[in-house]
Amino acid sequence: MLQLQNISKVYEGKVPFRALTDINLEVEKGEFVAIMGPSGSGKTTLLNIISTIDSPTTGTVLLDGKNPHQLGKNELARFRRRELGFVFQDFNLLHTLTVEENIVLPLTLDGVRVKEMKERAEKIAERLGISSILKKRTYEISGGQAQRTAIARAIIHGPKLLLADEPTGNLDSKASKDVLEMLVSINKQDKTSVLMVTHDPQAASYSDRVIFIRDGKLHSEIHRGESRQAFFQRIIDMLSLMGGEGRDFSAVRV
Amino acid sequence: MTFRQFAFNQVMRNKRLYMAYFLSSLFTVMVFFTFAIFAFHPAFRDGAVHRYVLFGMSVAGGIIYVFSFFFVLYSMSSFLHSRKREFGLLTVLGASSSQIRRLVFLENILIGFLATVGGIVTGLIFAKAILLIAENVLIIEESLDFYFPTLAIIVTFVSFMILFFCISLFVSFVLRTNKLIHLIKSDKLSKGEPKSSLWLAVLAAFLLLAGYGTALYVKGIQVVHAMVPVIVIVIIGTYLLFTQLSVYIIRRLKSNKNIFWRKTNMLLFSDLSFRMKDNARTFFLVAIISTVAFSAIGSLFGFHSYLTKGVKEANPYSFIYTPLQRTGEKEILEEIKQVDAILQEEHVSAKKETAVFHYFEMAGRHGGVLIAKASDYNRFAALLHKDPVFPKEDEAIIVEQSHVMMYQGKKASEILLENPLRLENGQVLRFNRIIESEVLPEVNGYYIVNDEIFDQLGTPLRSEINAVWQAAGGQKEQVIEAGRKLTEQLPIKTFSIDYALYEINKAYGPILFIGLFIGIVFFVSAGSFLYFRLFTDLDADKEKFRSVAKIGLAFSELKKVVNRQTALLFFAPIAVALVHGAVALTALSRMFDYDLTAESAFVLGSFAVIQIIYFLIVRFFYLKQLKKAVAV
Repeated sequence: MLQLQNISKVYEGKVPFRALTDINLEVEKGEFVAIMGPSGSGKTTLLNIISTIDSPTTGTVLLDGKNPHQLGKNELARFRRRELGFVFQDFNLLHTLTVEENIVLPLTLDGVRVKEMKERAEKIAERLGISSILKKRTYEISGGQAQRTAIARAIIHGPKLLLADEPTGNLDSKASKDVLEMLVSINKQDKTSVLMVTHDPQAASYSDRVIFIRDGKLHSEIHRGESRQAFFQRIIDMLSLMGGEGRDFSAVRV
Repeated sequence: MTFRQFAFNQVMRNKRLYMAYFLSSLFTVMVFFTFAIFAFHPAFRDGAVHRYVLFGMSVAGGIIYVFSFFFVLYSMSSFLHSRKREFGLLTVLGASSSQIRRLVFLENILIGFLATVGGIVTGLIFAKAILLIAENVLIIEESLDFYFPTLAIIVTFVSFMILFFCISLFVSFVLRTNKLIHLIKSDKLSKGEPKSSLWLAVLAAFLLLAGYGTALYVKGIQVVHAMVPVIVIVIIGTYLLFTQLSVYIIRRLKSNKNIFWRKTNMLLFSDLSFRMKDNARTFFLVAIISTVAFSAIGSLFGFHSYLTKGVKEANPYSFIYTPLQRTGEKEILEEIKQVDAILQEEHVSAKKETAVFHYFEMAGRHGGVLIAKASDYNRFAALLHKDPVFPKEDEAIIVEQSHVMMYQGKKASEILLENPLRLENGQVLRFNRIIESEVLPEVNGYYIVNDEIFDQLGTPLRSEINAVWQAAGGQKEQVIEAGRKLTEQLPIKTFSIDYALYEINKAYGPILFIGLFIGIVFFVSAGSFLYFRLFTDLDADKEKFRSVAKIGLAFSELKKVVNRQTALLFFAPIAVALVHGAVALTALSRMFDYDLTAESAFVLGSFAVIQIIYFLIVRFFYLKQLKKAVAV
């Protein structure tokens, strides 16, 4: 479903910096892929390129055979609000809006009827367990609730691809677990492909496949076979194999 | 939630963010509206005010409108800059650029509408005060009663709805959707320091010095010729001062580790250079706008005082009668009687002195030179409570020409000194003293001699009788009324200072009022620019101080940094503007050769005081915000 072909990214500037080199990657429909790597390895850059926030220097991104980077401005906007969903580490909710309004924002931008928006928001809120806070403003809710709101916003329009950048980075372990289980359920039930960038081996172990990148290059990938516990162990092993030690993976991304 | 509701919620739920923009828009509307209330006052439509005043007011209204346009545009663009990240997020969520433009458009229409209505309402509240002030400054016969300004409301409402509509269109097109990644990371990107070169920094200093030098060197009519080039040079110099010289100085300070690494200096300077590009532009704008305000108000004020004070000095008496040349003695005496009659009619009690002035032949002076008897002079001086003079029998006192005469070439005293005064017996009088005096109504300079020798001066070229009246205090209205009658019945020959001043103030009042109004508008908007600049960086500052507080920054230290930072922002451009204004007013005073020091000091001083108060208020709120955010 998602294909990356020879993606490279060079940041121009006084000191040109090569962030990504020849990345080739394919994500199947309904697959849950985690991207891991040390700080500065290019994970977020890769995610930004897929999400059309940033553009690649060379190479092509294909989503269902179409290259979103070649779309016109308005088509691109339509593409973002229909095909993609985003979850950020710092939630990025609009604090002028209530939880419910934040959730329906992509539909609002798309001009959907109010009644339909309301129904869909309620359905999703119930599913994510945030029905009780729908009328609250963003500064009145906890981090876990904020991230659930962000997930609701990301999936309300039924995107093909859900992109998550460190979705658990600002959450405690309980909230992290809830969020990850939610992502898994969205992935399994709606057949939405999920691409998640993370530092956290625990978070990565919820995925079907983990891709490791290092210094802007694909390093290796491992598939989840058996239990999550064993998968977690193999992720840890791979991280140490990559030359880093466990503690290289700081809890906070720079 | 529809898109329109979304735009509405954005504004209504985030009042603090929109407040600054809203308030400055509201302020602009209010200024325009109060001006409109005044300009459309029914009292003016009856032809009581000259046509040119009405013309002046419409021009002033136009200036305020055009200025409002740019002011609102500026406020809005700086407001939008602070929201780049939000636009980035919306784009990520799938908003097209036309949707973001529509959002901005809707927001602006909403704010514009509220600001227009709010401005009109606040304007109405202040209307009475404005009309009262106007009435006093303007000296209008009819009083400016409060009225319900339907026309002003309509004009203001329509003008500003058009203005906001145009600006909304304009800005939403200008709002470029930069690369998304830049929008999202906008708060972390510096616009960089402006490039600075030593050469340009030196040029800045040179241009300013050259401009100032020229402005201070030229005299009289030269000032007019030098004005445009000096203004251009100084504007360029000011621009370079802020973009080059200041950057250069900050660089030098930063490279000196003894200074840069000393306590909180590091925080202060690094921030200064980080924001220098934005700051330089704001500083330049503020400095120029304030200079315009200072110079405009200063020169109007100065000119006013030049007119009134000059006239007052030259005419110290309430009424003066000077006959036309070659008027018969009988006629003169009759006219003086006529003046007495008018004064009596108006119940003006005044002390009167008359004297015969004898003019003697003098080479190069048409109509001869006045040689006055000391006794005549002393009688007149007594009326004014001035010191009498007692010239000896072998001397003559020279009286300098009056201040009101614009002097070209030699002063009267120099000419009089070169002209020997010979008595009939051949004795030449000594000139020991030159005094300045306005006692006798003669502006061209004259001699005073001892009464004893007066008869030996020969036959005068001509003689005329002059009379002066000094009215007792506390009867201003009668004096003015008598002055009006005198001016009507005996024009040119009689002069009433109080009536003349009344006429000057009446003609000059509207100009002064309009000038003051526009000057204050400029000054306050300069203040708003500074406010915007400061609060655009509030979030960055919060972030910065929060992280520095973590490594140990006491609130007192934070206060010190913020103090200096804000003080620099508030006073650097104003200080430059004050110096500019002082130089401009000095040049003006040299043009008229009239001392404007007191007036300039008063005008510039009051602006400085207002700025200090403004600074203290803004700093208080800024610190409060920071304190809340940092919580140290």
